[in-house]
Amino acid sequence: MSRPDRAPRLVVVSFLLSAFGAAGFAASYVLGLGNAALGGCLGAAFAFLALGLARWSNLIDAAEPEYVEERDVGPTAQDQYDAFRRALTEQPVPRSRVLWGALATATAAIGGAALFPLRSLLPSMGTDPDDVLSRTPWRAGAHLVTEEGVPVRATDLEIGGTVTVFPEGLDPREHVDTTTVLVRVEPADLDLPAGRADWVVDGVVAYSKICTHAGCPVGLYTDTSHQLMCPCHHSVFDVTDGARPVEGPAPHPLPQLPLGTDASGYLIARGGFSGPVGPSWGNH
Amino acid sequence: MTPRPVSSSSRARLLAAAAVLAAAAALALVGTHSAGRASAAPGSAASATTTSGADTASTGREVFLRDCAWCHGTDAAGTHNGPSLTNVGAETADFYLRTGRMPLDSPDQDVRSGPPAYDDATISALVRYIGSLGHGPQIPSLAAGDPGSGRTLFLENCAACHSASGTGTIVSGGQPAPELWHTKPRQVAEAVRIGPGPMPPFSEKQVDQRDLDDIVSYVRQLGSSQDAGGAGLDQYGPIIEGAVALFILLPCLVVVIRLLGKRAPERKEDS
Amino acid sequence: MVSLLPRPRPMRKLDERLGIASVGRDVLAKVFPDHWSFMMGEVALYSFVFLVVSGIYLTFFFEPSAAMVTYHGHYAPLQGQDVSAAYASAVRLSWDVRGGLLVRQAHHWAAHLFIGSIVLHLCRIFLTGSFRRPRELNWTIGVTMLILAIFNAYAGYSLPDDLLSGTGLRIFEAIAQSIPVVGSWLSFLIFDGEFPGHEIIQRLYVLHVLIVPAVLAVLISAHLAILIRQKHTHFAGPGRRHSNVVGSRAWPSYGLRSLALMAAVFAAVLLAGGLLQINPVWAWGDFDPATITAPSVADWYILWIEGALRLFPPVEFHVFGFEVPNQFWPGVVLPMLVFGSLYLWPWLDRRWTGDREPHHLTGRPRESPLRVALASAMLTFLAVLLVAGSEELLVQWTGWTVAAIRDVLRVLVFVLPLLAGLVGWWLAESLRRTDLGHAVELGGRDLVRGLPRHGRRESA
Repeated sequence: MSRPDRAPRLVVVSFLLSAFGAAGFAASYVLGLGNAALGGCLGAAFAFLALGLARWSNLIDAAEPEYVEERDVGPTAQDQYDAFRRALTEQPVPRSRVLWGALATATAAIGGAALFPLRSLLPSMGTDPDDVLSRTPWRAGAHLVTEEGVPVRATDLEIGGTVTVFPEGLDPREHVDTTTVLVRVEPADLDLPAGRADWVVDGVVAYSKICTHAGCPVGLYTDTSHQLMCPCHHSVFDVTDGARPVEGPAPHPLPQLPLGTDASGYLIARGGFSGPVGPSWGNH
Repeated sequence: MTPRPVSSSSRARLLAAAAVLAAAAALALVGTHSAGRASAAPGSAASATTTSGADTASTGREVFLRDCAWCHGTDAAGTHNGPSLTNVGAETADFYLRTGRMPLDSPDQDVRSGPPAYDDATISALVRYIGSLGHGPQIPSLAAGDPGSGRTLFLENCAACHSASGTGTIVSGGQPAPELWHTKPRQVAEAVRIGPGPMPPFSEKQVDQRDLDDIVSYVRQLGSSQDAGGAGLDQYGPIIEGAVALFILLPCLVVVIRLLGKRAPERKEDS
Repeated sequence: MVSLLPRPRPMRKLDERLGIASVGRDVLAKVFPDHWSFMMGEVALYSFVFLVVSGIYLTFFFEPSAAMVTYHGHYAPLQGQDVSAAYASAVRLSWDVRGGLLVRQAHHWAAHLFIGSIVLHLCRIFLTGSFRRPRELNWTIGVTMLILAIFNAYAGYSLPDDLLSGTGLRIFEAIAQSIPVVGSWLSFLIFDGEFPGHEIIQRLYVLHVLIVPAVLAVLISAHLAILIRQKHTHFAGPGRRHSNVVGSRAWPSYGLRSLALMAAVFAAVLLAGGLLQINPVWAWGDFDPATITAPSVADWYILWIEGALRLFPPVEFHVFGFEVPNQFWPGVVLPMLVFGSLYLWPWLDRRWTGDREPHHLTGRPRESPLRVALASAMLTFLAVLLVAGSEELLVQWTGWTVAAIRDVLRVLVFVLPLLAGLVGWWLAESLRRTDLGHAVELGGRDLVRGLPRHGRRESA
């Protein structure tokens, strides 16, 4: 039944090539030959190892019959099962529902109490998420500044130009809901909702940059069609019409910020946004 | 009773099929993606003019009258087919001509980048001519910039349309924001100022000369020089990476287990 | 025969102390059915092993912190820039740690392989009916592991705090806050306040590196223990009965083959990690919540949800007096339906087929045209969603507008799965009536016989 113990050539060669690949990996590391050399050598080392092992197992299989094992199908015999149940429910004290009930109460109480420290994962007591989500720090008189803190005039933008702005004095990364996009269009192209005619300065309109669908920054502006597009799910907003969604899954327009100018001509906000910023949430 | 091992001929067929599939998938992915953002055919109004030196302004005007006036008007004041060019400046002309966006074969042809229709001398002549019409902006001059600041400016202003890696994508309406890896620095600067097509323009008040130098120097080193990890897959992101995982990596392992394991035994009556 | 016995004396010493010889004999002689499709689960197992080993290496270099640091290293455009420690350490791993990029990339490719092989493994179990009694518990454990694997992969690629994955976290936050009544509280809990906060990278790190791998390790052990206790299923054939298992011995035959597979998995992810760039975070840039890159998409195992978010129409309605945000339906309800139906399947199958018998002989897919139809429909549905998640690529290929593609896909997402289900049923039914090995061998007459009208007369 057993064959002479002759090392099969292909298997040995594969393993030797694998060792060669490993040496290549070590050399690539020492010589700094780069990612491709490292991955190629180590990958090849494992590949040849796999080849050798596969061929070896093939040789064994060719000589081996199939093996059969009995399966113990089905549940345990009834008398053994009864013995198991007896062992499980055996108690040296009189059967007492009160005892078990009291234990359950203690366990449940400990479990429930242990959940309380999870509250610390939430921000400080007294923060109401619904309140925070409904408002932004934009106030009347706040100057509009770029991310570098430079105040903006309407004429800094060309017709068709766009820039992202924040309220002066706040760290943009701490107050993401203040992110605002300014777009300058020909004043004649504007067709804003009623009552917003004076929210514009020299054709510059301001909208929240936070998409009302899932919160991505609405970063793509196409000046030929006056459209802001969000790259996440391709909602498109018409800048000349109060950022009304014209395409895609966003259900609400981007809230608009009323603009004015200060004495030097720099843009300021004249109030907060026309509505809550960002995607709808469950309690709103 | 020994199980039926995988016969060597069916194993060979399997390996061959797998190799063909993998190669086809790889080619399809990278090839068609690059082709997908292929430039349109260049304007065919290009009989390469052999202008030799001398009066380049009048040569420019000759080419203009021959190839451009039918849309832009003989006086460049515009027609219903094309806008006025009287104040667009050398900057605009240089951009559109050197990126092959102009001239068009017909007024309703898409404006796309491609190989330029004219040789260098003719373009220079045309640019000089159009620059002489009115008071438009000159070709921007460039100095060495700081790629570090350029990176920040690029991410803030450009990445949303051109992709952070510069590989390009689409904007609303399905128009492309092209990839920037093969655009010459001067054309990058011109595009930032002009805002061609769907792109917004950025004035000097918004992006000053130093900022522009920084952005251009950052864009210059985008591209395959960033491919530290191997074949860059166009730096396109999870869509192509996922396709490689699902159509190349996973099928390779399926082939491996098909070769390692056994096939089902012959179907026979059994209890 | 090649001798594989270890040296005699150390084994004897071990046996003196532990008495392992008898148990060892049983373990080594264990019989494993060795059809090739049964090895898909092992691909998943070995991917997990690679993920753990490569992941441990990465933890020595990655800093899970949102604190700002100045990057100094070989990646020139970032030199001297202030970015988060997490992002800086990810770039450093890629450009400044020799071998770091290989391990990072191989780790990410291995995650793709892990989830992909689990899905294929699930399909095999589903189509062969191996989830039936007594294996419902293992099916449930398996579906749980799929969900955990997907979550962990998502957490993993969000750790480097780059612009692409950071946007993905924003979408996750929007979905969390869309849950009626508790949504805003839940999202504030996860992010420690408003998005992005300072905690999320640290929290994802603990989940990704410690909690989820530990839970997965426990579940994998349970999964294997149950498999060993119940013994693997096998296909019908000569000598194969419900009450036995026929195959190769664990050692040396099956064990060597399994080791070969492990080496092959490692080879595949290392070759991919060396030759194919994945997730070049230095190119995406550091996360800035006011900016974005495009295409802005997730990895494929999350992309189907993104596709659903893209296709779902812009409607918000009131349910029981609560306004339900738009993103709740594709972002929460859809995944719950998909995974919920997976969880419930063994019991649904029992109900619909009336089959309550224990099965150790598995069937070929064709024996259940219903399952083939459902699998075809579900996979087609997910594929259309993946296509919706790849709209940008389609626009670049076809020149159509996003709106046109969206409208077409909104129709296809219903029509194609239905068609695929019907075709799947038909092919399975046709195959069932023949002796053919493969669907490609079906001839015209076989296909006609598979149609319902003809089927009735010929049912066994």
